[in-house]
Parts: sequence; C-alpha cells; structure tokens
Amino acid sequence: MPVASHGDVELSESLTNARSRALNQFLAGVELKAFKIAQAALRHEDDALDAVQDAMLQLARAYADKPAEEWKPLFYRILENRIRDMQRRRTVRGRVIAWMPFRGDEEEDELDPIALAPSPDPSPVKKLELAEAMGALEKAIADLPRRQQQVFMLRTLEGMDVAETAIAMGCSEGSVKTHYFRALQALREQLGELV
Amino acid sequence: MSGQGGEQLTDFERLSRQALEESVLRIDGRVRSRLNQARQAAVEAASARRRPLFSRFFTLVPTAGAAAAAVLVTVVLWHRGPQIELPPVPDSVHPTDLDLLSDSEGLDLVQDGDGSGSFYEWAAEPTEAGGSETDT
Repeated sequence: MPVASHGDVELSESLTNARSRALNQFLAGVELKAFKIAQAALRHEDDALDAVQDAMLQLARAYADKPAEEWKPLFYRILENRIRDMQRRRTVRGRVIAWMPFRGDEEEDELDPIALAPSPDPSPVKKLELAEAMGALEKAIADLPRRQQQVFMLRTLEGMDVAETAIAMGCSEGSVKTHYFRALQALREQLGELV
Repeated sequence: MSGQGGEQLTDFERLSRQALEESVLRIDGRVRSRLNQARQAAVEAASARRRPLFSRFFTLVPTAGAAAAAVLVTVVLWHRGPQIELPPVPDSVHPTDLDLLSDSEGLDLVQDGDGSGSFYEWAAEPTEAGGSETDT
C-alpha cells in the first residue's frame, strides 16, 4: 500500500493552490457577464447578485474538482437554475401578494440616483449613441422570452459556442440554434437598425 | 469579426456584442465589490472542501500509530503465557511442608520417574514394625 510522503503532501498542497488560483481566475472572468445575464432575467440588481453568488458557491463546492474546461457551461447551468428558482418564487410571492388586502408598494426599492449615474468616463457623441443603443438593446433583451434571452446572452455576450450553450441550457444543439435564430429575429424587428 | 467558436458574426450580432460589453464595463463599484466578495467566498469554500484530506492525513497517522502500538503491546502481553495461580494454602499445611513444596529437589522426589510419588508414600507408610522409618 503506498504511503504518502512529506513530498507527496507538498505536491498535493501546491496542486490545491493552483486549482484555487484557476478557479479564482475563472470566476473573475465570468462574474460581470454572469451578473449582466442574471440582471437581464431578473430585472433586479440584488437578486442578480444573489443568483451569481449562489452559482459561484455551488460551482466551487460541487464541481471545483472537474476539469477547468467544463466549468463555464456548468456555471451557467447552475446560474440558470438559480434564476429560474428565483423567478418561480417571485411568481408565487406575486400571486400571494395579489390576494392580500394590503400591498407592499411602500417597500418597493426607490431608485438610487447615485447608482443610476453613469461612470465618470468621458462621453463623446459616439459613446452617447452607443449608450442609447445599449439601453434600447437591454430593454429589448429583457422583453424576450426566457429561453431566447438566455441563448442570446450566452452566445453574444459570453461568446459560447452552440455545444457549450446547449450544455448550459440543458437542451439540444438544435434547440439552441432555433432559440438563437428567433431571438435575433425578434431583436431585429424591435430595434431595426438602432444597433 | 468572428465569435462564438469561430463563426462569422453579422453586423447586428457584432454591434449587439459591443453594446453588451460596454454595459458590462459600466457596472458600478458596489456590484463589482460584492461580486469580488462572492468570488473570494467561493474560492475559500472550494479550498476548505479540499483541506480535510490533508488534515485527515495528518491526524490519521498519529492516531493509527497509537492504535498499532496499543495492539502490539496487547499481543506481546497476551503471548507471555498464562499466569500460574497458586492454590490457597490450607491451614493444616505446616510451614515445613511448604519448604518441601517449594524445594525443587523435593518435587523430584514427589514426581519420580514413574510419576507415582512413591518415595513419600513409602516414607509415610507405617512400617511392619508399627512406626514409620522417619521416626527412627
């Protein structure tokens, strides 16, 4: 029976550290895009943050030992499940609140003008045009059916190919192509040549 | 511009991507900070999940060593042989009898060649003359 020597333990520790660094690097690379995807689906900043945070934790706990190449589709699959859970919970809560005599309108988040203010980048005319296009695009994406929205964000923003997107969405590659085609068609109809 | 695994993007897709990437760059500091904290927590969780393997190794070795030593000591003590328990000495036994019993030569005399203890039996037998030879 092989016995772990001190050298083996040191090697294992360095492998663990390398794995942690790789995981950190991967999450740093996807976190902002993942937040944008979650925000488009949930239309709420804090909910989107919670969804991304949960997805990160679940990936780290359950799949950190998987090959790094598999992390991206797994991460987006987990995120999608979290988003769906939150949407379901929200739907149930909405139904319950609709039946209640007192509505919690006063608890609605007020828009924070500081948070809404754009970052202090110099904004030439081109950037302003892009910002307008960006706002219109984000609104149009938010109005897409969920699956079309998801496939559009994964393919366009995250740059995932059809196979990866299919894994992330838990559907066939054919479905990915169909949803993506329909998403593009809907956005073109809505935005025209705006973008 | 190509994307999505080398596929050619249309102008619409390219501009969409540009707009979305721009929106990612505009994410404010509060969100970035929270995402950073979430990432650190996730990496820590992954490290903690792996750590028990090492700590288990370092706690298992001394424990296993102690258990092996205990087993070894038990085995050694077990094979030293059964302890001989001496029967209680009855009150009737005289101290001189004890001397005889503890005397190895005396035992030889008790258990002589044929194992019958004939010497002491012979010595204790009354003689034909009406007394034992030891009385002489």
